[in-house]
Parts: sequence; C-alpha cells; structure tokens
Amino acid sequence: MISLYPYFAFAKKSFLGRSAYRFDHFMGILNTILRIFIFWEIYRALYGGRAEVDGVTITMVATNFILSLGLDSVFCVNDYYLPNRIQDGSIATEMLLPVNFHGRMLADNLGNALFQLLFHFVPAVAISVIFIGIAAPADPLMLILFFLSALFGYGVLWTISFVAQMLSFWLINVWSIMTIKNVFINVLSGSMIPLWFMPDWMSGIIRFTPFSSIYFTPVQIYLGQLSLSEILQGFLIQLFWIVFLFSAGMFLWKKGQKKLVVQGG
Amino acid sequence: MIFFENVCKFILSDLSIHIPQGKSLGLIGPSGSGKTTFLKLACGLLRPESGSVHTMRLIPEKNRRELSDMTGTFFVDIPFFQGNDTVESNFRDLKIIYRMRDDIFDKEYHALAEQLGFRSFEKETVKQLSLGQRRRAEIGATLLNRPKLLLLDEPAEGLDQTAKDSLREILKERRSEGTTVVISSHNMEEISAICERIALLDHGVLRYYGEKEHLLKNFAPYEMMEISFSGKIPDMEDLPLKSYSLNQNKLKLTYNSNYVTSAELLRHILAQTTITAVNTHKSGLSDAVSRIEKGENYELY
Repeated sequence: MISLYPYFAFAKKSFLGRSAYRFDHFMGILNTILRIFIFWEIYRALYGGRAEVDGVTITMVATNFILSLGLDSVFCVNDYYLPNRIQDGSIATEMLLPVNFHGRMLADNLGNALFQLLFHFVPAVAISVIFIGIAAPADPLMLILFFLSALFGYGVLWTISFVAQMLSFWLINVWSIMTIKNVFINVLSGSMIPLWFMPDWMSGIIRFTPFSSIYFTPVQIYLGQLSLSEILQGFLIQLFWIVFLFSAGMFLWKKGQKKLVVQGG
Repeated sequence: MIFFENVCKFILSDLSIHIPQGKSLGLIGPSGSGKTTFLKLACGLLRPESGSVHTMRLIPEKNRRELSDMTGTFFVDIPFFQGNDTVESNFRDLKIIYRMRDDIFDKEYHALAEQLGFRSFEKETVKQLSLGQRRRAEIGATLLNRPKLLLLDEPAEGLDQTAKDSLREILKERRSEGTTVVISSHNMEEISAICERIALLDHGVLRYYGEKEHLLKNFAPYEMMEISFSGKIPDMEDLPLKSYSLNQNKLKLTYNSNYVTSAELLRHILAQTTITAVNTHKSGLSDAVSRIEKGENYELY
C-alpha cells in the first residue's frame, strides 16, 4: 500500500523551510508588487485615459495582472529539481530510495506553493487591490471555481515543467529549454499580454496549447466571462493537459531510467 | 540473498555466483574488473545484458523500491546527499523516507554520529564538508535504517584511520546481527578484517570465490620465520623449506604452511639449540591476490 506520509512530511518541510529565508521572501513580495505596478502603468499609458479598448476595460486588465502575477508567485515550480540530480549523479541515489521520485518532487513544490499562497499571494494581491483596484468576482460561486481552476492551472504548469525536466536525461544543459518554456508561458498564458488583445488567428492557436489554461482560464472564470458550460469545458481542457503532459512525462521518465540502467549513465 | 546466473554486463562476462544470507563478501580485483558493475546490478541500478540477477528473490532492476527498504547502498562515485542541506537535515529526510519512528531514528542517528564522528559538523551544509567528512556522514546514512543487505563500494576511501576503524567495528557488529555485507575494496586489510568470503574479479571474470581461509591456504601458504639462537647451529636437513639462510646467529626460513607448521619447526630447532627470539610473517590476502592476478596456479599439497 502506498503511504502518503512521506509526501505530506516533505511538503511540510518545504513549507517550513521557506520561512527561514525572510529577507528573500520580503524581496519576492516587493518584486511581485513592482511587476504589477509596472504593467499597470504601461497599460494605463496605452489606454490613454480611455475606459475600455475593444470591450476590455482597464479594470479587467488590472484584474488580469493582479491575479495572474499573484498566481505566478504561487506557481513556483523548481525546474531544476531533476536536472540538478542528473548532473551531479545523485539521481542514482534517488532511484534507490523507497519513495516515489516525482511524488517527492510534487510534495516539495506544493509545500512551497502553499507557503507562497498564504504569505506572498495574499499580501501582494491585498496591496495591489488597495492601490490599483480589482474587479469583484462575478459571484461567490465564481470565486470558488476560480480557485479550483487555479489549482488545475498549477497542475498544467507543473506538468509542463515535469516534461521539460525529463529532457535532462538526454541533454547536458536544459537551461535553454527552460528559458524557451518560460518565454512561451509568459507570452501565451496571458500574464504579460491579456489574451483578449491577441489577434483572432493567434488566440485560436493558443487555445490548442496548454498555456492559456494556466492563468487565463481562472481569470476568465473570476470575471464571470464564461458560462457554466464553458467553465466545465475549461476544466476538461485543463484536466486533459494535466493527464496528457503527465503521461508524456512518465513516458520520458521510464525511457530515461531505462537509459540509466542499460547504459549506466 | 544475491544470485547471479550467467550474467554479462559491460566487462562482466558469464558471471554466476550465489551469496547466501548473513555472509560477508569482499569483492576484490584490479581497477576496471567489474566490482562496481556487480554492485550496481545487485541493487538494480544496472540491467544485465544477459543472464539473470536476483536479490532477496526479487529482480532488482524491476523492484528497486521494495529492495531499497531492506538494502543500504553506498557508491563512491554517487553523491548521497543534497549539497545545499545540512547533514542533519539530510538525515531527517531519510527518517521521513524510511518512515522511522522518532525514538528509533534518534537512537540510530546519535549512535552513528558518535561512532563515525559526524556530530561535530552535523549543522554544516554538505557542500561545505571535506571529502572525508562527507564520506563519514554518507556511510552513516547507508546504515541508518539497519538494512538486511549492505552493498558498499569502496566505503573506506577518503576516511581517516579512526573512521576506518569505526566503520570496521560497525560492519562487524552488523554482520554478527545477521546482515549480509558485500564490500568492494582495494584495501586487503579492510576486506580481511571484515569478510569471511572473497570474490576475486579479474577483467570481468570470477577468478576465485570462496572462504577467505581457503584462499589464503591455497594462494598464500608461505610463511617466513626469523629465529635468533645461541649455541650450536641447528641441523635443518629433511625439513620441507622453501629457503633457508644463516647470518651469524640468525636463521631465516621460508616454508609452506601446508607442509610444515611453525610449531613443528620450532620444536625441531629447540631440540638442538637455544632460541632467543622469534619473528614470523604470514602471507596475507594481498599476496594471494597478487599470485592469482599473475596467473599462478593453485599450490598443490
């Protein structure tokens, strides 16, 4: 029987471990607030005093930034968890431990994410709401569905990182892969440029990628832009990407392990 | 406990061996002879190209997680710890991984920290440690959950003499409790002190596998004795000596201990003269290994 105790214990350790780096933590909050304010000022200038552009109000844009960048601070996945272990050879030690490696990786990231949610997302969003303002959730149900969708969004982001990390079995340096992945996430997830402003042909393409499921789907739910059937569709798309990417990652993990046990490294 | 049948992998060629439960085996041989490959096959880090490997009746490569609860593995070329964490924190991770009770963990951890001497640097991050310090802590980690099987690749490399002695004592203690121990090493003194069985690998071929005493008797039977005497020069005729030299009142004898014992020699000499001092030197494991590596045949007796 699989015991979940080690994974809860690792999540707790990761959560408590974050509280040791207080200066780093405060600088992180400051960084998120600065990013939100910079984007806010840029878009305010672009709007040039108009209340809306193509049906998108400045409040919607601000809400998108505040929620996306707030979630971005929570969705911190350690992209080098596996690559570092492959590079220094300690992956072999991990393979000989009686715990599931990716379970441990997820637990470590979730503990970190929970800490970030409570002590980074909440203060950063509260300060931004006070000084910039944010649209209220469409209704309480939408707020609940927003958090559920955000959880799935985290799943999509984590599995993208999971697949990218698996490439380190075959690549000496995955830095460039991670950089490309992060550029795609920043641009195509709607956190830098809200997807409302994308040309139709591009938003059509983006809809077939996992990136819009990360931040944009939860934000749309929060703003009440999706009907219940569209929300259900959004959830299914998120779940599809989680299952698809996780399966792809597991396939690569098995291939990578086989490479290690057949070739010896 | 460990069963290899016609295993081929890298340099290992058609290797068949059975290591029974509770035995301690010294895996010896020149560099590149396949010792580490053997250990990696036994714990499932490598898959055999042909043949089969079973450890505790399981196929290691397919049952690594089940085996890892019962096996302690140490490889000299594989880092055990995460460098950014302290030694203590790494051990606490292992407590979680092995699902150890607090009291059992505390008892084992404190005992190992004292015995192997890593208490003084347990609060330092692993990357700050010297090689010897890291080794001490890593070996402690291998022994933490009292595994039934220990697979140790050059465990004494990088250790100072005190730590080597402590390791030797711990392994003897674990062996007496029924733990199966397999150690690869170039240090014959260490192997000799810990192991009752020897497996000699040479270019991937098992050249010898059996009891240590048998190996010594067959490949290192020669002993040397220096005897100081006062009185008449003893007559050494009819004794099965390999060599004999006399320098003033000192006799230097080399003999095959399978043919004549040191007691018989001394009795023979004492009957003729007065012995004032005796020094003996027995051939060791390294002499036996050296003879096998040179391709010398079994000494017949």
